[in-house]
Amino acid sequence: MSTLAEQIFSSDEKDILQEVMNIAFGQATAELAEVIDIFVILSVPYIRVIKGSDLPGYLLKEMDGSPVVNLIEQNFIGKFSGQALLIFPSGAEKELIKLFNQENEAEAYGVDIDTLERETLIEVGNILIGACIGKITELLKDFVTYDPPRLLIQDLSKSTPSQFPIDKDSFAISIRTVFRFEQQNVEGYLFLITRQHSVQWLKKALQTFLESFM
Amino acid sequence: MLKSLLIVDDSPVARMIIKKCLPLDHGLQIYEAGNGKEGVERYHEHNPDLTLMDLTMPIMDGFEALACIRAADPDAVIIVSTADIQEKVIQRVQDLGALYTMKKPPSKKALEEALQRGAEAFKQVQK
Amino acid sequence: MIFAQIFDTINNGLLVIDREMTVKYWNRWMAMHSGISVEKIVGTSLFSHFPELDRPNFRRNCKSVFQFGNFCYFSQRLHKYIFPMQAQGSLADTFDYMQQSCSIGPLRNQNNEIEMLYISIQDVTEVVSYQKKLISMNNTDMLTGVYNRNYMESHLSKEIERCRRYDHTMSLLMIDVDLFKTINDSYGHPCGDYALKTICERILANIRKSDSLIRYGGDEFCIIMPETTGKDAYRVAEIVRRSICDRPFTFGGDTFSTTISVGVAAYNRDNDDVESMLKKADDALYCAKQSGRNSVT
Repeated sequence: MSTLAEQIFSSDEKDILQEVMNIAFGQATAELAEVIDIFVILSVPYIRVIKGSDLPGYLLKEMDGSPVVNLIEQNFIGKFSGQALLIFPSGAEKELIKLFNQENEAEAYGVDIDTLERETLIEVGNILIGACIGKITELLKDFVTYDPPRLLIQDLSKSTPSQFPIDKDSFAISIRTVFRFEQQNVEGYLFLITRQHSVQWLKKALQTFLESFM
Repeated sequence: MLKSLLIVDDSPVARMIIKKCLPLDHGLQIYEAGNGKEGVERYHEHNPDLTLMDLTMPIMDGFEALACIRAADPDAVIIVSTADIQEKVIQRVQDLGALYTMKKPPSKKALEEALQRGAEAFKQVQK
Repeated sequence: MIFAQIFDTINNGLLVIDREMTVKYWNRWMAMHSGISVEKIVGTSLFSHFPELDRPNFRRNCKSVFQFGNFCYFSQRLHKYIFPMQAQGSLADTFDYMQQSCSIGPLRNQNNEIEMLYISIQDVTEVVSYQKKLISMNNTDMLTGVYNRNYMESHLSKEIERCRRYDHTMSLLMIDVDLFKTINDSYGHPCGDYALKTICERILANIRKSDSLIRYGGDEFCIIMPETTGKDAYRVAEIVRRSICDRPFTFGGDTFSTTISVGVAAYNRDNDDVESMLKKADDALYCAKQSGRNSVT
C-alpha cells in the first residue's frame, strides 16, 4: 500500500482488512459456485488507497490497456457505503449470455440481442457485486442496501475524473479482484470504492472482528 | 497427544486468529510460515505432528505446498484452512492427501475438532 | 399497525415468500391484479399458482438474495413482466400482459438471518407504451408509414452481421420513382404525396412480412430482404415493378401513370458490408435508369 494508506490505516489495521477481504472473497467464491452453479475463481483481493482524482487513471492502468469496457456501477449504503465498479472487457457479454443460459429468457420474451447483452451484464453484475459486498458486510456485522445497478459503456482513456461520481479531493479504498469463470474464460475486475466517511466505522469494525476471536 | 503444530498462512492476522482459537491448555510447540515455500521448509526443519495450511498464498500456494510435503512424507497430517469451500476445492485437496478442509474464519470449536482429528490421524501413522 | 396498512394500500404489488417458496404474505394489489385471493394463496407454493416462474433465472435470483442478502432487479427490458397479469384499461389491447418492474430483497429475523424475501411489482405498462411509441416514431416515415432512413441505418448493419454470423443470404432492392418531379409539377404536391403512399401500398402487397420497406429519400425506397438470394429478389423486383406500371393512379379528377426503376444487390459473404451493399444496389439502379427506366437490374 502507498503512503496515503499508511496515513489512514495502522499496519495492524491493514493486515486485518486484508484478511477480512481474503475470507470474504473466498466465501463469496464458494457460495457463488452454489448459487449460479458455475465454477468461479476470485483472485486474492488487492487493496490500495488512492486519491479520488487518480481513480480513472488507476482503473485504466489496471485494465491492462483495453480502454473500452462495460462498466457496471452499483452504489451500496449502510455503515459501510460506497460504490462497486465491475468491469468486463467489451465482448465478454457474449460469453456471459452462454454461461448463464440467458438465451432462454430472451426467446421467451422476444427481445433483440443488444438488449439481451446489456441486461445480462446488469443481472450478472448485480449477483457478483452482491456476493462480494454481502460477504464483507456479514463478516463486519453490517447490512447494506443497494441501488439498482447501471451499465455504462465507457472509454476509460477518455473519461475525466468528473465523470466518476467520487469527490476528486477525497480518497478511495480500492479493493480489486479478478473474476474468472472456468468454462468460458471470461475475466472481470471488481473494484469496491469506499469513501472517507466509512473509514471510522471500518476501523472499529475491523477491531470488533478481531476481538470476536479473543 | 500432539506436541507440535505448523501454521502456514500468508496473513499474520489469520495466524493470530488460529492461535487465539486454540484451547488455552494446548501445550503445543507452534511454528509459523508466511507462504507455501516457507511452509515446506519449516515442515522439513521441525517435522510437526500437525500442519494447518492456507490455500491462496504468494510465491507457492497451498495446493503445491501440500503436494510437496506429502510427496516427501506420505504420513504428514495436514488440515487445509480456507474460506473457499467449493466442492471442487475440497475434492482437490483431498486428492492431494489433506486430512480434511476447515472453513475460514475458524472458531474455538473448529480448532478443538482439528486438534482432535489431527491427533487421531497422527496416532494412526505412528503405529 | 401503520406498516400493515401501507402493505395493503400501496399502489404496488408486494408479496413475501420463505425459502421453500411458500407464500407468507400477499397484498391487496396482488389479489386484485392476479385474481388470486389472500386466503387461497397464503401457505401454498408460489410455483403452484405461477408455474412459469419456476425457471433458472428466477430461482437463481431468489437464491442469491437468500445467500448474500443483496437485491435483485429484474430488468424490465429483458423480462417484460414476471407475473402474468392483465394490463389495465385501454392498454389491455396493446399488451398481452401488464409490463412490470420487479425487485427482490431480503427480510431478516431477530438473529439477522435471512428467512424470507419480498418481491415488489410495479405496473409500468404506460411507460413502456410511451417508449414503444417513441421508438416507432423514430423509425417511421411520417408520410407513408413505412420505415425511415434512421431505421435503415441500424437495421441493415444488423442484418448483414446476422448473415455473416450464421452464413445466411439476403438481398437489398433500391427503388426510384421515374420522373417523380413531373407528377409534382403537373398535378401538385398533394398528388405527389398520394402517389408515394400508393406506391408503398402496392409494394407492401407484394413483399413478405419479414421484408422491410424503407423510404430512403424523397422518391427513393429500398427493401431489405432477409433469407433471399439475388435471383429470388430479382423476381420480386419484377413483380413490384409491374404492380406500379400496370395500373394507373387516380387522384382528384386526374388519372396518370408512373413507373419505377429497381436495382438489386445480393449479399456476398466474402466482401460485403453496409457501404458496399448500398453502393452495389445504387449502381444497379443507375444501370436500370440508363437502360430507359421502368426496368430492373
